[in-house]
Amino acid sequence: MKTLQRIGTLGFGTLALMGALMNSAAAQSTVKIGIPVGLSGANSVVAPSVVQSSQLAADEINAAGGILGKKVELVVADDGSGAQGAQRAFNSLVFQDDVDVLISMETSAARNAGLPIVNRAGKPFIYTSFYEGRSCSPNMFVPAWVPDQQVKPVVDHFTDTLKAKTFYLIGSDYNFGRGMLEFTRKYIEERGGRVLGEEYLPMDGSDWTSIISDLRSKNPNALITSTAGGAPNVTLTKQLRNAGIKIPYGNLAVDEGTAKTMGADATDMFISQSYMTGIASAENKKFLDAMQKKFGGELKTPNDLSVPQYEAIYLYKAAAEKAGSTDAEDVIEALPEVSFTGPRGNIQMNKQHHTPLTMYLGQVKDGGSVEVIKTFENVDPGEQCPNL
Amino acid sequence: MAILLLDILTTASMLFIVAAGLMIILGVMKLINFAHGAFLTVGGYAAHVVTAHGFSPWLTIPAAAAFGFVLGVVVERVVVRPLYSRPLDAILATWGLGIIIAQVIVFAFGREVQFAQSPISGTVDLFGTGYSSWRLILIAVAVVLGLLLTALLYLTRFGLNARAVIMNENLARGLGIDSIRVRAMTFGLGAALACAAGALITPLLSVDPNMGLPWLVNSFMLVLVSGIAIPGLALASLVLGGAQVLVSTFVSPIIGGITIVVLAAVILRIKPQGLSRG
Repeated sequence: MKTLQRIGTLGFGTLALMGALMNSAAAQSTVKIGIPVGLSGANSVVAPSVVQSSQLAADEINAAGGILGKKVELVVADDGSGAQGAQRAFNSLVFQDDVDVLISMETSAARNAGLPIVNRAGKPFIYTSFYEGRSCSPNMFVPAWVPDQQVKPVVDHFTDTLKAKTFYLIGSDYNFGRGMLEFTRKYIEERGGRVLGEEYLPMDGSDWTSIISDLRSKNPNALITSTAGGAPNVTLTKQLRNAGIKIPYGNLAVDEGTAKTMGADATDMFISQSYMTGIASAENKKFLDAMQKKFGGELKTPNDLSVPQYEAIYLYKAAAEKAGSTDAEDVIEALPEVSFTGPRGNIQMNKQHHTPLTMYLGQVKDGGSVEVIKTFENVDPGEQCPNL
Repeated sequence: MAILLLDILTTASMLFIVAAGLMIILGVMKLINFAHGAFLTVGGYAAHVVTAHGFSPWLTIPAAAAFGFVLGVVVERVVVRPLYSRPLDAILATWGLGIIIAQVIVFAFGREVQFAQSPISGTVDLFGTGYSSWRLILIAVAVVLGLLLTALLYLTRFGLNARAVIMNENLARGLGIDSIRVRAMTFGLGAALACAAGALITPLLSVDPNMGLPWLVNSFMLVLVSGIAIPGLALASLVLGGAQVLVSTFVSPIIGGITIVVLAAVILRIKPQGLSRG
């Protein structure tokens, strides 16, 4: 029995040693990209598309010789779409897997929980989700839009082209919903319009009856909504259509894919995004073809969350190559200075760690396709982090 | 003003339709069916499956009811019947069942929102303004449903047996009434009503794995306040649904969301027997 135990221990020791050796060998020849993402919870619907676009970027980069001659390795961790899960995911990615960079699309709660860990470790962090804005850290970079960029095209179009003077705002009662509409209200008033009502329902609420009746009695020229994605967005739109509300309807929380599945109810809705699958550029065509080829029937439609993720991995590559190393400090210094031309055009995170973006105002047509009716070139993110 | 009245009537109708199945089961079986919310969800998905296969959206309601009845009878046999002598455990079992149903739905359809075609859309001109036609139909459905359930309980053999079981189960059994069969049929009927309700509310809601959950709490409160009787449930739906609409309209929709629960607690404090009993 004793002998058996000893053999066992010896075996384990050897294995562990081999493992450690292999690990250190691997550490020298790969660049590890940590991707904490909401595989479960609220983000679980969109997370697979983000993982897919990351895989394409890694494959393409590896096929072309990697980053500084090293292979790219993705480490995906589930953040549960929330703060607790994000803490675990960031801790294990940063301190156990020892990743070189974190690149991910997450909920605001998950980002807020992960950011202190990133700051403590001094790693570069590219946050690829659009969000409510004004989250600042020397380590964090954002290639996606903030309210300043998304809201303006909708309000401008309603005010200038459709001559709307009075607005009604409806949202879900949470950070992002309230943040977006607060900005919308300010911008409408700046443009000389009037907000006749601003109403919220809890995130799990589904009965919009009284809000819709109030909207009808106030009779505004246009409606702008910012609900939580998924169910609240669908219930609100259905009930609006059922109530026969036909005024111009800007939806800040819907993406192309959801609009398509909503069918007739989504018709005529206005959406504002930095990415639409219909963008007519060589880069976008190449990206879409490559995604189709790699994933075939498993492909999740690329969207305004998965495309910034794809570009962010290339931005990291550019920064590491400019710096000539993958050392965190050098990369962080180089990140705002590099640019990459991807499906959304030329992307450079040079405005207080945020990014001027081309925004597309789309309108949903019969049958669910989205027609781009206006393009707003290089919309400035505004003063997001004046101290950076 | 007319709109406000219609909002109250339609909201009360929806609440009545959704809570009816829960009340039937509680009335006859003395069992609070916490899987009620999951049954509503199943009804929504039944509607999704029916229209996704190209059938008429009007078929969603009978299809959901039929599926619900079968589901209810099976669940009664497998889960509920072995626990008749342990009522508290039976309640826990229905709670667990609700979780299992929700997970099976996630497994089969995914977490994302699904869509079902609506039987009709658009508005009808009424009192000078357009009002959602589907909501108006729901008023008629609620009235017919209330009458049918009353007729079932007071004009049929099944109703007579069921009322006998409600009053004194041992005596009813002694008189030769097959109380096990009455219970099985009741659970089937309750589940059928829940699934049909799920299909009836989908034109206004999204079909997702948790769609039934917010309705479960409200239905539960309504049934307690109703005093377990059909006129009581209608009254409770009108009072509590009306209060919800009034608070949402004149105070805030966020507070409106908790009106039913708070008001139900207050009513039960003053009249523990509910609205329809002394």
